[in-house]
Amino acid sequence: MADMTPTAPTRPRSLVIASAFGTAAVLAYFGGLFGIYFSIRADAMAWGTRWFPEGAIELAPGGMNMATMAVSAVTMGWAVHSVLNDDRVHAYLAIVLTAVMGIAMINQTAFYIADIGLPIDTSQATTLMFVIVGSHLVMVSVGVLWLGLLLLRALGGQDTSRHRDLVSAAALYWYAVTAIYAVIWIGIYIAK
Amino acid sequence: MTTTDSDGSSTAVEEAITSTDPVTLSKVWGMGGMTAVLVGLVAGLLVSLERLDLESAGIFGSGDELFQFWSAHRVALVLLGVLPILVALGTTIVPKQCGANTLLFPRAAAFACWTWLIGAGMTVVGFLVDGGLGTPDGGGQRQATALTLMGILLVIGGLMVATMCILSTILSGRAAGMGLGDIGYLSWTTLVSGTIWLGMLPVLAANAVLAYVDLRGRPAVRFGAEDAIWEQLSWVFTHPAIYLLALPVLGIALDVISSATGSEPANRGVLLVSTAAFGFLSFGAYAQTFFDTPGTPIMEEAIYVLAAFAIVPVALVVLGGVLDLLRRGGSDLGSSAPAPVALSVIAVLLTVAGTVLGALRVVAPWDLLETSVTGAHFTLVVGAAIIGSVAGLSHWGEDLLGSPGFPGLMLLGGLAAALGVALIGAADAVSGFLGQADFTGVDLATAGYPDSATGALNTVSTLGAAAFLIAGLIWMVGGVRHLAADSEGAG
Repeated sequence: MADMTPTAPTRPRSLVIASAFGTAAVLAYFGGLFGIYFSIRADAMAWGTRWFPEGAIELAPGGMNMATMAVSAVTMGWAVHSVLNDDRVHAYLAIVLTAVMGIAMINQTAFYIADIGLPIDTSQATTLMFVIVGSHLVMVSVGVLWLGLLLLRALGGQDTSRHRDLVSAAALYWYAVTAIYAVIWIGIYIAK
Repeated sequence: MTTTDSDGSSTAVEEAITSTDPVTLSKVWGMGGMTAVLVGLVAGLLVSLERLDLESAGIFGSGDELFQFWSAHRVALVLLGVLPILVALGTTIVPKQCGANTLLFPRAAAFACWTWLIGAGMTVVGFLVDGGLGTPDGGGQRQATALTLMGILLVIGGLMVATMCILSTILSGRAAGMGLGDIGYLSWTTLVSGTIWLGMLPVLAANAVLAYVDLRGRPAVRFGAEDAIWEQLSWVFTHPAIYLLALPVLGIALDVISSATGSEPANRGVLLVSTAAFGFLSFGAYAQTFFDTPGTPIMEEAIYVLAAFAIVPVALVVLGGVLDLLRRGGSDLGSSAPAPVALSVIAVLLTVAGTVLGALRVVAPWDLLETSVTGAHFTLVVGAAIIGSVAGLSHWGEDLLGSPGFPGLMLLGGLAAALGVALIGAADAVSGFLGQADFTGVDLATAGYPDSATGALNTVSTLGAAAFLIAGLIWMVGGVRHLAADSEGAG
């Protein structure tokens, strides 16, 4: 066994590393779903089968959501920058804006899913779409809750340039949320 | 002990449930895992007994019931058995090897432990109430199948969070000045295998979520169909994913033998690279036969076949490291090797045997993929993982429970397990070459109309399953006595 002598200080940024592992696991989860989705879709296309019914998937809701998520990634970066510079007012503003855009995205997706008129058991395509989009909604919801926690800590003066791990970890996760939505937007809403 | 609320008036159960002490959590992981191994071995023996008569149902009422126990055997050994035992070692021993004060994120680790335990309970109950992971003829209860899937999801969640805590401790909590190349072999192989687990377990979760969503409330479209669920999840119980269970065991063997002989491997760098390669060759989330494109089955793709062959020399390199250690330090072991050393060597040999059989299994002209060679391969690799894990528990028993435990019982159990695994592995492998299917069902057609010689081989395999179960019982007795001695010492 290697040297057993413990040392007092641990390496910094353990929260960021743990979040990176967690985010990687989430990416692997969606990687699995996307792999299944695109594999079955490719087979269906090869056989000349229609994947979604004609006109069922509209471009506008997905595009609006993508724009919302893209802007939220920018505001998330703004939050990190503000915390690094101990700019508390801008940090509050950026965190709230990011969370609001996350909630807007959830609202818009929920409305669209209710409005789409495709029951989940219509076909393999709809089952997969609902699972992927639903999983992403859960991911966004977790992110919004995380941002709420971050805001509470910021209000308590605990998110500073010296204690920036939580905001860095949240940002890492949020960028992954945005990246995954980009794949959903291209793979489901655009490619249909 | 670190507890969230230990005012001296709490009971032992309260302390256990609220504790974030890594040693307490390790006891839960370890005993839970060993209990699941025992459950899995009982299921395995029952399935073996049923196989003695391939033409009709003897013990079970139908092929579906047999399938539930057959799949429960694999689930119990992998997700509920070996992985938790490895987490037990990772929770306690890895931080010490890394010079960390303790496991990072102890509350998350406790949350993971109890999530896993609840999920494991739900999974076992799901199997027992006619659920499980689907059945070939759709004879199971849908609600019970949904319960099993939910249990599996909780199990996966618990294992993933625990793995994150361990990996974060290795990367972020290790002593200042200690590089990743300096950490113990168990820590290194846990780092590699944990990283790959975090890439594979979420994919398994995705499969389970898809099946669960499709199963609930209405006729399944495809993914939740009773006869389709197992095939979507089965990739985690076969080549290449199954090798990941054996990787930490290679690390355990190197640490145990290095410690017992007082010598370091001559080529540490080569062993680190080899074990890392072993881990990356074990990534198996891509090998999902359920989603095969017609005409191009994944098991016949180059990547699948290449991985099966490439892992053999990698395992041989690790075996070479083990033999080198024994050659240079064997004289320090005395006339009889300590129990953990003997068990470690057995585990490594079984792992190498498993990789060789895994390579033979993918040779296309022999057409063995659907035969009992797959079961033999599973038994060899998982058997190696179980024996190696017990070697680790025995070697670090003092760190876990404050006393060395009962190495004689552990060795006795290990020898019985080795005999059992060897008998099952050899008999099922030969049966596979004679055409016996991996899942034999209760009629000759499902069994693949095998050669009549498989009758005798199945008897040998059943004897092996009985020996393996006896080994599990011996280990359980040893573990319980060790825990009892620890409790008395604490009292």
